[in-house]
Amino acid sequence: MPKYWAGCDVGSTTGKAVIIDDSKVVATSLVPSTLDPEKTALQALKAAIDQVPDLESHEACEYLVGTGYGRLEVPFANENISEITCHAVGACHLDPSIRTLVDIGGQDLKAIATSEDGTVKEFAMNDKCAAGTGRFFESMARTFQITLQEFSQLSLKSKNPTSITAQCSVFAESEVVSLIAKKTLPEDIAAGAQQAVARRVLAMARRVGINPKFAISGGCAKNEGLLKVLEKRLDVPLARIDFDPQLIGALGAALMAKRRGSDPI
Amino acid sequence: MSILPYKTDATYLRWAAKNLLRISFLGVDPGPVRILQLLKRYPWVSAFLKVNKLMGRLMGNRRGVYREVTGYILNRFVDVFADITRDLDRYADRIVWHEDLVPPEVIYAMGLNPFMVEMLGIVLPLVDVAQGERLIDEAENAGLPADTCTLPRISVGLGLKKHLPPPLCVVTSNSPCDGGMTSYAFLEELYHAPTFRLDMPYRYKDPEGIAYYVKEMKKMIAFLEEHTPGRMDWDRLRAVCEERNRATAYELELWELLRHKPAPLGSDVVFLGHLAFALLQPGRPRSTQVFKQLLEFAKESMRSGGGLPDEKYRVLLWNPPTLIFPELFSWSEQEYRTTMVMDMLTFNRHPIIDTSTPDTMLHDLAQIFMQGPMAQHTRGPVEYFFEDLFFIHEHYSTDTIWMAGHIGCKNTQALLGMMREKCRRRDIPLLIIEYDLGDSRVVSADGIKEQVTMFMKTVMGA
Repeated sequence: MPKYWAGCDVGSTTGKAVIIDDSKVVATSLVPSTLDPEKTALQALKAAIDQVPDLESHEACEYLVGTGYGRLEVPFANENISEITCHAVGACHLDPSIRTLVDIGGQDLKAIATSEDGTVKEFAMNDKCAAGTGRFFESMARTFQITLQEFSQLSLKSKNPTSITAQCSVFAESEVVSLIAKKTLPEDIAAGAQQAVARRVLAMARRVGINPKFAISGGCAKNEGLLKVLEKRLDVPLARIDFDPQLIGALGAALMAKRRGSDPI
Repeated sequence: MSILPYKTDATYLRWAAKNLLRISFLGVDPGPVRILQLLKRYPWVSAFLKVNKLMGRLMGNRRGVYREVTGYILNRFVDVFADITRDLDRYADRIVWHEDLVPPEVIYAMGLNPFMVEMLGIVLPLVDVAQGERLIDEAENAGLPADTCTLPRISVGLGLKKHLPPPLCVVTSNSPCDGGMTSYAFLEELYHAPTFRLDMPYRYKDPEGIAYYVKEMKKMIAFLEEHTPGRMDWDRLRAVCEERNRATAYELELWELLRHKPAPLGSDVVFLGHLAFALLQPGRPRSTQVFKQLLEFAKESMRSGGGLPDEKYRVLLWNPPTLIFPELFSWSEQEYRTTMVMDMLTFNRHPIIDTSTPDTMLHDLAQIFMQGPMAQHTRGPVEYFFEDLFFIHEHYSTDTIWMAGHIGCKNTQALLGMMREKCRRRDIPLLIIEYDLGDSRVVSADGIKEQVTMFMKTVMGA
């Protein structure tokens, strides 16, 4: 039977799992987070394991690494590793030329300077404020009464982005409500919101130094409107990774599982 | 991490008993009635009763000589504060407040009783953080802005409650920061004490800068002679400087030994020693004795394999130590095998003072104070700051720099970006600990631990 290694990323809004064998990714899953991180992890793992006929349960994996904010609540993992390390390892595995990575998660924002093999050289994070995170986009989409996907596309239609001044998600929502009341075009408001987040992302990235290539991971990396703004504002190329950016942390965890499981400390 | 059960450990119990004995001796000198009166007037004195708790926290899991020397330095610290308490009574009519960057040697040589106001802003968070936080609130409620450094806010809090001993006069300076200077404006008004402000020049390493500061010190002496019964006694200053030189020689030798891997000692033992005996009470025979003894401990520790025989990472701490969580280092020693070998508050250029004439003494004291900890790092061209930082990093072969990023320190907050860039260029792993020096409500001890853990595991690969 082939050997399998698993990574499970228990995030604030979603749980993700990736299973790899000796050479490739064999299964991935993405489930909404529950109130119990352990339950989220089990659900994500089950969804991935169901895709691998050889595997009956996560216990059959050689090694399992837990990551994400809820990682400490995953008692069945062989090891817990910070999501900073896992995102760096995952991203650099997919594109070894990445040197700056920003993980925009549901509730936090992390900038990571990395070397070719994914070793973290420096990091900066914002985990006390929702500004510039997935929560911010969720709140914006809610204000417009559209889906996240629709919101990310909406800004692409803008010709005259409005300036959103508030950094705080709560106040930005109020500002957007006022702009809607003033009949400002929704796409211009959406573009303004994307620019506000891009400013925040770049400010965080500058703390660790922006070096090419620059990449985004996490759920917000699926936001095309944000990527377009970042591409315009960046002086370095933005790497487009051919892998679901939301799963990069779990992939990194699976790769770490393979490293640690093959060469236990 | 399991901590040694310090309350039943022989080393701990022996030093704890010595501390209690020294504190209880205050019942003999100045006497039971006077000490009760002092406690009523200056409630902060009672914080010293918590010193044994602090000692247990600092000892952590240290063993052998390192554990012993932790007890020793705390015990000598108690000596200093017992004497300060006694002198509040014995020399109550000769108290002169001085700011931490004003040479106490001169005040002492004039036969006056120097009282460093900042001392309590440093010691209270170490020993009794809640007491310090009440004073911070007191100052804030009286109008001192909430973003002022908590250290001067504690000083102002004490002043507002009239818990500082009334001075004959005050000597302060334009350093280290705006918050510090503002606090003296408050205190001046509260105590109606004549105040002299030493003006430290911007380019203080230039000969003109030193000459200017010497003139300032002469003005300070004239001011003290005008407002106190103290008179400058140059022979006494010479004796103080010579004693300081003897202590310095021992301390410099100790610092040389700290370059050794594994370091014989480190962390709080080194910074508390420097704080009490080089900054607070320089030039006293006891200070010389302490540095001599620390050197002996260091040699003994080296013979037995070092303070942390399996030392893995050597840390340089920048900015004052994390006062609200002083056991950070004993904790990280155990958790990650780190030794904090040198810190900004301790390292000093320390010239040996030329005692041949009054002018040579003042010249060298000027150099010591202007190029000393805090002064050098909060004023003047930024190059001075980074020269020290990277010199110490290389000299002590440190693996990482930990910046205690006290959010109340505007001067260093302004430098963080440059610090990051410069460390990055040199490939030095830098940890910036976000916290407040004196207020655990901003970031708790657990919050500091989380930051260190994340850094050690993610960047250092621990």
